[in-house]
Amino acid sequence: MVDVLETDVLVIGGGAAGTNAVLKAADRGARVALVVKGLLGKSGCSIFASHLPYHDTSTEQKSHDRLRYAVRYYNHYLADQDYCIRMGAYMRNEFFADLERLGVYWRRDEHGRPEAIQSRTPALVVHKQGASGPIIMDKRRREIFRRGIPVHEECAVTSLLTDGERVVGATVLDYRRGRYFAIAANCVVLATGHSDYLATRATATREQSADGVAMALRVGVELANMEIQWWHASDVLEPRAWMRYHLYPNPLMGTQETSRLYNANGEMFYEQKTHSPGASAPYTEQMRRLAREVIAGRARWDGGYFSGYDHIPAEITKTYQHQAKIWAKLGLDVGQDRIECGITWHMRQGGINVDTVTMATSLPGLHVAGGLGCHYLGGVGPVSYDGKVAGEAAAETALTAKRSVVSQQAVAAEEKRIFGFLRVEPDGVRPIQAKLRIREIMWQLGYIKNEAKLQDALAAIQATREEMVPRLSLSSTSRSWNTAWMDALDVCSMLDACEATIRSALNRKESRGPFYREDYPFVDNENWMCRNIVSRVNGEWRSRIQPIPAPHMKPEKSREPFFEADY
Amino acid sequence: MSPSSKPTTEPDKVRVRLYRFDPATDQAPRYESYEVPYTPRMRIMDVLDHVHETLAVDFGYRWLCGTKKCGTCAVNVNGTPKLACWDAAEPEMTIEPLSNLPLVRDLVTSRDPFEASLASLSPMLVRKAEYAGFPEPLSAQDMAPTAHLRDCIQCLACQSVCPVLRQPDSGFAGPALLVALSELAQDPRDGADRARLADEVAQVFKCVSCYECERVCPTEIPIVSEAIEPLKRLAHSAGRSAGARRTRAFLDVVKARGYANAALVALKTNGFSLHGLRLALRLLPRGKLNLADAFLKRSPPGAAAIRKTYESNGQSSENPE
Repeated sequence: MVDVLETDVLVIGGGAAGTNAVLKAADRGARVALVVKGLLGKSGCSIFASHLPYHDTSTEQKSHDRLRYAVRYYNHYLADQDYCIRMGAYMRNEFFADLERLGVYWRRDEHGRPEAIQSRTPALVVHKQGASGPIIMDKRRREIFRRGIPVHEECAVTSLLTDGERVVGATVLDYRRGRYFAIAANCVVLATGHSDYLATRATATREQSADGVAMALRVGVELANMEIQWWHASDVLEPRAWMRYHLYPNPLMGTQETSRLYNANGEMFYEQKTHSPGASAPYTEQMRRLAREVIAGRARWDGGYFSGYDHIPAEITKTYQHQAKIWAKLGLDVGQDRIECGITWHMRQGGINVDTVTMATSLPGLHVAGGLGCHYLGGVGPVSYDGKVAGEAAAETALTAKRSVVSQQAVAAEEKRIFGFLRVEPDGVRPIQAKLRIREIMWQLGYIKNEAKLQDALAAIQATREEMVPRLSLSSTSRSWNTAWMDALDVCSMLDACEATIRSALNRKESRGPFYREDYPFVDNENWMCRNIVSRVNGEWRSRIQPIPAPHMKPEKSREPFFEADY
Repeated sequence: MSPSSKPTTEPDKVRVRLYRFDPATDQAPRYESYEVPYTPRMRIMDVLDHVHETLAVDFGYRWLCGTKKCGTCAVNVNGTPKLACWDAAEPEMTIEPLSNLPLVRDLVTSRDPFEASLASLSPMLVRKAEYAGFPEPLSAQDMAPTAHLRDCIQCLACQSVCPVLRQPDSGFAGPALLVALSELAQDPRDGADRARLADEVAQVFKCVSCYECERVCPTEIPIVSEAIEPLKRLAHSAGRSAGARRTRAFLDVVKARGYANAALVALKTNGFSLHGLRLALRLLPRGKLNLADAFLKRSPPGAAAIRKTYESNGQSSENPE
């Protein structure tokens, strides 16, 4: 018999979305358990947060700017617009106060006023630019521990359990201790984020392997807009570990200055205030401009172009927690030298198809919070709102639902699958090799896509699944922190997520925001302002399209060339 | 303007000796050696990843963010704790787990004792007054003394080199926990009895101010001067621990005598005891204890200036006990 723990609400994921879901569900009186694949408040992408947008609605113009930014520049008309308004109200009225109550210090100026990053969409920071994430997450972590909420750290959820009608719990592998158990829950909140390490160069943290996407797919839940995948253009090329260091293209504290991008000839080809004045987080425009340079042979995706702050007084770059120190650590002068860049697979706009009023999915008992949903791109503030909505809704459902019972048979079947990887065969495939292969396939697919490249990538993913997975074996059968064992489980999630991403990309016959198909090089607002949905039921892939209403703002043009659109 | 290029000093390869030990199955630790081709600006983490990815060794190592934010990748490199993601690879490296922490497997250590100690320090803000709503009255100046402390990523490098923590059952919390406690103690909004927590729970007076913690801190926090000394200042006047008593005794003796007379400090700290007497009898014949110095009024030149310093600083060293 496998141990089965019991709770009202099970939250999976320890970032900004998951932690707020835990706190808000507990506030409603539910018993909560939290499972985190890494370490609470340390793993996941929330610790990368820098600017927290302040939703200023003091004038009609400011409200409009804010909504336009969220809808047009951040989500390319794929966000739920009413959600954006509700989330904005939360950001204004609750988000900063909730964290300040816990002790977070929102940086003040000399008059005691919160100091904002000045742009059309002002943002606040904790302490210093680039330091918000770790501090916010540290406070949430301590608060969850203070309340005595059970937290299972360094534990991977491996599957969602259903009774055929609704989600009743999940199976968990404690990979530090080699212990397998299940958690029965009346409601589950899935909050595993929008950033996954699915390409050779990626911003995601080590443990992020799209487990949430894959587990939802396996229980028949729909995924939407999986292909709307952001790339970052201004990330450090070398050292490799630092590909996650982002040379932010948005304004430095107290100035309108930003980093710039230069091609191989030293010509500047991107600066926020010059090339995308409307968007203060102008990543998709950066990528478009870089694509032109790559096509013209003046940059490569993995190097040959540069970023820096040599046009700005070096003193200003010190308002950042890390930027000036990166230069210094490499023996470079931030006031003079530029750093070579490469692109990285960053965050996904799409994800699980979700009802934004309750953050419920099509499967009863399963809620989603944060970037894992298809409704909004993400960000520590918005995903905290999702956590609140999902946590409260899940608590309400859980407290009135009849107690969930998990089937020991299903738990045992999953145990067999997981422990099946724990074998040593001399001529087997090491899981890390499969992982690297998958990342290489997605890297080669890259930013510029077309039908043939997508078909090749799909075939390569399927071949990896068929040829490598059955032969996976490890170099030791240790159950304690066996990196290769974790890799094997990650491979299964990554294959499902990549297949869903490629299939979705094949379905979308246009280009938009971060998504570029050279065989459909135009934004088609007439046909593709929609949730592009895939699911897998009994091994069969299905797809459908669901239009996204635009009650508050619409794009001016129904169709325009991709490289001419400003969003 | 110099685009990045490989400095000529970079080596061709890195020789690494990895510590391997699975307490569940292995009798004793062992070291495995690997040669890894050097890549530009290579970090320690890149070397570990290469061993894992290319040589498919399933050794246990922990990292999450790769960018000096999560604080989970610290390891000992040639005997010094380093953040694997931040510090450069060296041509010859022996890589071992951090010291002073229980081992999980290979390079992975358990953070559990640290988390348990943190929980014992009431690590959340305990508000003096009810929260006033955003933005609460607070200035940049209010938060300036703790600015560096907020850079702590709890990588535990400092804990691993602390000589006090190396003593079994020292009872000392260690530098990383004192940074966390000090940030709260110096927060104008906090009303918890941080002095008592510092003295009795964290046992701050066991810090010997050796500065090892500062030497290895990857975020360059002045741990002794900006975290630990403020806690000692806060806790010494009312503290009940031997450390607090010794600090008061030291201050009193220096004020009275103009120098730190060891015998008087010991006597004032511990009072008269048989143990103290036995110790004194052993020290006397070795010339380590000068009773004449201790009990005859004799002030060195400059004592008056020292007394003045006390007065101008408003230094109170009255013993409340």
